[in-house]
Amino acid sequence: MADSEEIRRGLEDWSSDKEGWEERKPEFLSDAGIPVKHLYTPLDTEGIDYVQDVGFPGQPPFTRGVYPTMYRGKLWTIRMFSGHGTPEETNQRWRMLYEEGETGFSAAVDSLTFSGVDPDQEVHGAAHEVGKEGVPLYSIRGVEALVKDLPLEKMSVALVVEPMTSAAVTSMYFNVLKARGMRKEQLAGTTQNDILTMTIGYIPWGSLRPADLLKLACDLIEYCTAMGEAPRWNPINFTTYNYREGGIDAVQEIGMGLANAVAHIEELLRRGWKIDDFVHRLAFHLSAHRDFFEEIAKYRAARKLWYRLMKERYKPENPDAYRFRFHVQTAGCSLTAQQPMVNIIRTAYQALEAVLGGTQSLHTNSYDEAICLPSEESVRLAVRTQELIQEETGVASVVDPMAGSYYVEALTKELEERIWEYFMRIEEMGGVVEALNTGWLFNEMSKAFNKRRHDQESGKESVIGVNSYTLEGEQPTPPFRTNPNAADIEKERLEQLRSDRNGAEVARLLDRLRKVCEARENVLPVVTELTAAGASLGEITGVYREIWGIWQLPFVA
Amino acid sequence: MEKKIRVLLFKPGLDGHWRGIMTVSKALSDAGMETIFFGFKTVKGVVEAAIQEDVDVIGFSVHSGAHREWGRELIKELEAQGARDDFLLLVGGVFPEQDHAELREIGIEGVFGPGTATQDIIDFIVEKLQDVEVG
Repeated sequence: MADSEEIRRGLEDWSSDKEGWEERKPEFLSDAGIPVKHLYTPLDTEGIDYVQDVGFPGQPPFTRGVYPTMYRGKLWTIRMFSGHGTPEETNQRWRMLYEEGETGFSAAVDSLTFSGVDPDQEVHGAAHEVGKEGVPLYSIRGVEALVKDLPLEKMSVALVVEPMTSAAVTSMYFNVLKARGMRKEQLAGTTQNDILTMTIGYIPWGSLRPADLLKLACDLIEYCTAMGEAPRWNPINFTTYNYREGGIDAVQEIGMGLANAVAHIEELLRRGWKIDDFVHRLAFHLSAHRDFFEEIAKYRAARKLWYRLMKERYKPENPDAYRFRFHVQTAGCSLTAQQPMVNIIRTAYQALEAVLGGTQSLHTNSYDEAICLPSEESVRLAVRTQELIQEETGVASVVDPMAGSYYVEALTKELEERIWEYFMRIEEMGGVVEALNTGWLFNEMSKAFNKRRHDQESGKESVIGVNSYTLEGEQPTPPFRTNPNAADIEKERLEQLRSDRNGAEVARLLDRLRKVCEARENVLPVVTELTAAGASLGEITGVYREIWGIWQLPFVA
Repeated sequence: MEKKIRVLLFKPGLDGHWRGIMTVSKALSDAGMETIFFGFKTVKGVVEAAIQEDVDVIGFSVHSGAHREWGRELIKELEAQGARDDFLLLVGGVFPEQDHAELREIGIEGVFGPGTATQDIIDFIVEKLQDVEVG
């Protein structure tokens, strides 16, 4: 076997006339701006100790995966983010996805459900947006209709709602399942519940201050996990995917994600819980973006860094707490309205990144998503994309096949260092809540999307169909349209509920919620009673806004 | 000194996809225009501000699928406040090309879908306003 000296001499010899080699560009950079060399050799992995830095799947530092068998034991969950029109229509779409082979559900909600606004509230013409971006879930009746007759005993559900409505929507779901006879130990799924999604990823109307959002997010973690009310539920999913969509790179994505997780951990420790009471249930939702190898290295580095964070700082006893579990969504912002069929190819490569990176579950975007919500035809193809990787490519037969690639190992190490440094920068400025209050995180986002614009418009970053290989006279794809009557249907549903419920009881419970909010106690117990009694989202979030006030963003006049 | 073109940009409704409008806002400022980003305001508030601030252009961004509803509401409000023809109107965001004609028909002159280069928006504004006395 060649020693490093021999390799070094060989490399020098091989590249002795490299001044004369012509390359396409003076410099090659990864998406995160990491210089990419011409060639990687064993010399680039010299500082990496196999046992300590790479190791074995299911064992520290988990670089190769969080479980020993990975996809040989259990394939990743095909979990399609989906919702439109009314809960009944979404239920139909979910059944179709189930029949096509989906193995987990994920609820995309509309902007009202996201912000906690009822369709009959005179807020910013909210009624225009009912069911347009996702499913409307304004009360327990909406959730009942959404999950009617679905096999929830064997399929987990992801509720993609944020801290403003996470307590309300999650408790509606729990109430519905308990009414079906399920025990709390059987409640399996995830609530997204991410404060950065709610601030820098997407800026919903009428948001609360970061500290109040953090409080609500931690209330759900406390209730489900620490208090044991839903021990199998993932009460949070740090959704770095949503910040990545703003244009930041892989280093910032994971750096922000780790800092976000730390803010929650610290808040729960402040409340008097021990690390082992909750940390094993914290999960992540990452992006799969355009730089193939860098994304794979990112997943490997993220697992390793989570392990490091746990080991160095929190030292939990539960071995599961060291496993960085994540869902992946292929990058929506990489899709184009032009030549939309090309999106199928983009998505397939991104899905492969996630699989080679060892994801636990995956959403693949549909080709028409730069135009509208996906049609049945497009979403079927997106499911098939995952099934093809599972059934035809053979990649699921082996664990972490990218390990040992000089390039991927070197990149994993480089990313690990850069991510940790970025994470520490946020820590040093006081963590994510402080970085939100000062506007620093918004500035990071804004710099990132302006840079993307510049790079794409100057042609530095190639986007097929937009700035390269464009096509004249394309026939536009027929758009999928959401139900135009959704607003009337949902207003009617709410009106019916309000006439059926015990109004005095709801009013009494809302008063109790006011007191709970004033005392900053956990909102879940009373919100659970409220949603069971037929309170609407707008009524519940109305109390939050009344007691805590609406956040004035640091940059918007 | 030539007077700057004044542009008021806003997100109607609840939808919080902010990358698009902020990107456009920066691009227009870089091109020498004066932009006011209004964040979440009611359409009524936006029209009042546009009149008061004497802007030349009102632009809004929609990712919620409610572009037609918001377009109609803006026109209705402009009519109600007697300012129907006072501004160049623009919309951008994620919506199907099939809806472009309808948006133009109701009076939104500049319609920009996904993949639009910001220079095209700048050129459009400059061209449309060249015969109009700015300000």
